[in-house]
Amino acid sequence: MAMIEIRHVFKWYDKFQVLADCSTQVEKGEVVVVCGPSGSGKSTLIKCVNALEPFQQGEIVVDGVSVGASATNLPKLRARVGMVFQHFELFPHMSIVDNLTIGQVKVLGRPRELAREKGLNLLARVGLSAQAEKFPGQLSGGQQQRVAIARALSMDPICMLFDEPTSALDPEMINEVLDVMVELAAEGMTMMVVTHEMGFARKVANRVIFMDGGRIVEDDAKDTFFGNPRSERAQQFLAKILHH
Amino acid sequence: MLAGFDWSVIPASLPFLGQGLLYSLQLTVVAMTGGVIFGTLLALARLSGGPVLAGAAAVYVNTMRSIPLLMVILWFFLIIPLLTGKPMGAERSAMITFTAFEAAYYSEIMRAGIQSVSRGQVNAGYALGMTYAQTMMHIVLPQAVRNMLPVLLTQTIVLFQDTSLVYAIGAKDLLKAAEITGRNYNRPVEMYLFVAVIYFAICFSLSLLVRRLNRKIAIVR
Repeated sequence: MAMIEIRHVFKWYDKFQVLADCSTQVEKGEVVVVCGPSGSGKSTLIKCVNALEPFQQGEIVVDGVSVGASATNLPKLRARVGMVFQHFELFPHMSIVDNLTIGQVKVLGRPRELAREKGLNLLARVGLSAQAEKFPGQLSGGQQQRVAIARALSMDPICMLFDEPTSALDPEMINEVLDVMVELAAEGMTMMVVTHEMGFARKVANRVIFMDGGRIVEDDAKDTFFGNPRSERAQQFLAKILHH
Repeated sequence: MLAGFDWSVIPASLPFLGQGLLYSLQLTVVAMTGGVIFGTLLALARLSGGPVLAGAAAVYVNTMRSIPLLMVILWFFLIIPLLTGKPMGAERSAMITFTAFEAAYYSEIMRAGIQSVSRGQVNAGYALGMTYAQTMMHIVLPQAVRNMLPVLLTQTIVLFQDTSLVYAIGAKDLLKAAEITGRNYNRPVEMYLFVAVIYFAICFSLSLLVRRLNRKIAIVR
């Protein structure tokens, strides 16, 4: 069974339809990149996967657990799904290391010392050991996003969701974040990534999903997508994005 | 003009005034602590989106904010003995009344504070697997309080000034103590002047603190 199964998902804001009949899946160990023009529903779709956004029709199953079912313990499910946001969303009133321990201690019930040790190890891994006692406001955007990735990893997630992780970054900081993500992919992490970074997609994606108008227009193996996209919209999108 | 005053009554009455001041401060601290806690719960209820809960909290807050505090103090003092059959004591009655009344004002401040924390922060808490209560407790409320600290303190200064209203039900606060000693020594003007200075000194130093905090928060942002 796939790690993430999305089956015929529909979503409306009042009468406005944002997702229409979206179906796809992410296998264990797979990296799937979701791209598309702004307003195409890609961020909404990824937020549906851990129920930060509700949907009205269809089903999403993560590791065998149905996200939309009323009996599902959402906090428990979300604790196993890492998420990285466009605007980092580190907790500004906590030090960096506290950002990395709060989930472990409050949600997983780990002893504080153990959580701190794990947090420091993860900071070292993203190259930010020296910043442990600083506060998020003292870090650059790229550093903050690397901390955010480490924070998600501190929960030992079974898969990771990235919602435009580099869109809010200055160009010179994009690579330091992508490097961490590439490394993560190489280690076999299951990842669903909303991004416009086609270089990243070429390098690590197994599949690329192209969305437009709330629909999944293309869902192809990477080489097919870049080599010969079927839909005209995807061709135009690629032409625009690659020629800049 | 000041020649006619007899200031010697002040040192003699200091211990008694001290007791009154102590009660005024106790009342302020109790009403502030209780008011902030109860007020935060009211704010969460109003923001909950549940029509019954939000509606009930809104009715409570708007009612309290539409009635003069002095009337609430009097009503509560007069009605409770009728309901329970025994008097409660002015001091205790005032503490409960002030907590209930101030909660309405603190709840509006906390509501603004909670709304000042972005939806993304809430999502980040949820994404880590936190429950609603954990997200509020560890992520939203600490930031809400920090953002609102100057306003919360300003409200507390107002609260401290308002505690003088309890003299109406005979609770022995600073003002009541001044009234009693002023009558005993037959020197009411000196006593009222003196407590005015005390109220001023406390409130003014608190507002200086608020100003410093405002500057500090502006830098952090």
